[in-house]
Amino acid sequence: MKRNKVLALLLSTSMIIGMLTGCGSSKTEEAAPATETATEETTETAEAEPVEEAAVEGTKVTIAVWNEPNSDEALNMYAQCEKATGIDVEVTVVPESDYSSKLNQMVSTKDSSTDIYVVWENDISNFAQVGGIIPMDDYLSKSEIKTDEFIDAVSKLSEGLGGTYGLPWCAATEILYYNQDMFDAAGVDYPTNDWSYADFQAAAEKLTQKAEDGTTEVYGCALPNTQTWWAGIGAAGDQVYDPSNGQMVLGEGAVSFVSDCFDMVEKGVMPAPSSDTADLFAAGKAAMSWQGSWNIGTYGSELGFNWDIATLPTNALKYNTLHTGFYTINANSKNQEAAFKVIEYLMGEEGQAINSKASGNPSAIKSIADQGAWKVEAATTIENWDAITDSLAAGVFGYTCLPSGVTNNAISEFNAALLGQKTPQEAVDSASQYAKETIGY
Amino acid sequence: MNEVNEQTSVRKKQLRNNLTAYAFCAPWMIGFVFFTLFPIGFMFAVSLTNRKLNGISDFIGFANYRNLLQSETFWNSFQVTIFFTIIMMIVTTIWAVIMAMLLNYKQKLNGIFQFCYFLPSVIPTVALAYAFRTIFGKEAGLLNAIITSISGKNANVNWLYDSHTVYFAVFFITLFTYNTGQMMLTFRSGLNDVPRELYEACDIDGASAFRKFRNVTLPMISPIVLFNSVMGCISALNGSFALLYPLTGESGDPNGMTQVLSLLIYKEAFSNMKVGYACALSVVLFLIACMFGIGIFAVSKRMVYYEN
Repeated sequence: MKRNKVLALLLSTSMIIGMLTGCGSSKTEEAAPATETATEETTETAEAEPVEEAAVEGTKVTIAVWNEPNSDEALNMYAQCEKATGIDVEVTVVPESDYSSKLNQMVSTKDSSTDIYVVWENDISNFAQVGGIIPMDDYLSKSEIKTDEFIDAVSKLSEGLGGTYGLPWCAATEILYYNQDMFDAAGVDYPTNDWSYADFQAAAEKLTQKAEDGTTEVYGCALPNTQTWWAGIGAAGDQVYDPSNGQMVLGEGAVSFVSDCFDMVEKGVMPAPSSDTADLFAAGKAAMSWQGSWNIGTYGSELGFNWDIATLPTNALKYNTLHTGFYTINANSKNQEAAFKVIEYLMGEEGQAINSKASGNPSAIKSIADQGAWKVEAATTIENWDAITDSLAAGVFGYTCLPSGVTNNAISEFNAALLGQKTPQEAVDSASQYAKETIGY
Repeated sequence: MNEVNEQTSVRKKQLRNNLTAYAFCAPWMIGFVFFTLFPIGFMFAVSLTNRKLNGISDFIGFANYRNLLQSETFWNSFQVTIFFTIIMMIVTTIWAVIMAMLLNYKQKLNGIFQFCYFLPSVIPTVALAYAFRTIFGKEAGLLNAIITSISGKNANVNWLYDSHTVYFAVFFITLFTYNTGQMMLTFRSGLNDVPRELYEACDIDGASAFRKFRNVTLPMISPIVLFNSVMGCISALNGSFALLYPLTGESGDPNGMTQVLSLLIYKEAFSNMKVGYACALSVVLFLIACMFGIGIFAVSKRMVYYEN
């Protein structure tokens, strides 16, 4: 009996101690400032004299990104940054599907484990609003980063935030990839940067190869992906995203583009939406594909056929979505000076050139982009590099400024229309209704 | 005097015993309060705010509940959840009973059969779902390739995106989840406990195999059927996310046909950052789980046979 009591007492005591330990805040956490305090403190720090190089050398700076650093050390900008600055750069890779939500949680909980967030377009203003990231203007005034040379769309996106909260890590765009061998075999002229949407549709039909039983063996074009659905809708005349109120704007353009895709699916020119995860273009099962420019770096010399790129075809207008991420400094970071040093390197000529070579994405700084480091050396079959510069010129920040739940929901609606489960008009109405329910919550 | 002292001593002993018992229960109680009761209360509190994932929050009363009641997406998800829960519970329970009965036949290599049947159940649900996503692919799916090679015709069934086949595919996959495997084992142990003499009596009376199952086996294992139904129901409500998210995405493709509430909660909280609204949806899911639990126990009073 006595033993039981002792045992019960021990169990309870250990449980309570465990609970208190688990629930209690550490001294460091207690000292973590509230949002306003953090902003005040960081402003004070930012106003202080620039820290000597030696003071930040050896400091560990953690950066959150969604893509793995390049395995080739020469193309790993973080490894090169370590060599150049003497700062220990630790890269935390968060899967892309959870990236935005993870960062939001970190900001919400005032997490200090990450010094630099690479923030997406739809998050930067929210993070600035809640004091999760700091303005970098004081740092920038003493820096050589060419902020006045950002491409116009990037500069516009930062307007209205009340300061420079983020610096764009690159400027990616969307382009048309095509299989030259298939074009040659079908006797179709290669796409050009002034291709019309009608040219694209006609070529897609000619390039489609069918089996004897009528099923498609090679598609004229792959299905638009989560990015390029919006390029098609924008090119058909819809605004997609209204920066004045943050709303999604779909209308006749979306109905028209979804209807066109439905027709192409019906004819077997384009595959129906399915659970397949294979890249039909890379697998040689689709002659054309609309995708992001970053795939140039992925494809490199890996594809077993000749391929090139062109701008997306012009429909009612020339349209594609720009993509970037912004280097920002966590307001709760203990290493803000070192974090800025890292950003300074990554935004400098060397850092931007390495990033471009590794990813195929041009720098958002015009003078650096003009040097052409983004022309991926491994992609030896590409001749039409102008497709990238032309696409950048026509690019806008569109759907990427909307919550991903809204855009993913819209794509599910479009897919339902392609499968004949609802009409294109019903799909667009339903997507718009959901966006209205969601945005501005 | 002695009697009074004795009574006091007994009371003290009883009190000590009670305190000892409470002390033994305390670790669980503390865990329950902090890790179950408090989160439920907190969830309800957050559901009354417009909290976003980045921490912005204002009290808005029952606005989230009003909004969800007016949302077509919610009502679609509500219907899908009820449908999915009932069918998944029935399908997995029946399958587990069949498997358990097959394994209960005395035959050689029974252990190997049991191992093979149970093996898929120990694979994490997410990995299982991704594997089946590949199997059920349209262009490059293994199942279509097998059908093509057998039939000699090009099979292009869009298993997971065609409204006619998606439920078949999804419910088929549920047969290989951990929950079904676990059910099979509990049914098997239950079947072993059914007294042999009851079957012998049936044999003497010339009862068919079906009548033996209906009139002997089923009543005798009915407490286990109840237990597994409750577990299957809770698993379908809460665990379906891990299965459906990799299979059909957060929007529950095609056309929202697989968008159960747990998927919608995830989408609202982590893709749209609407934590307050997602908490309101979670409260609804919690109520649905309670309703199912109460409903199953109510039905079970009439249908479950307890020997003692």
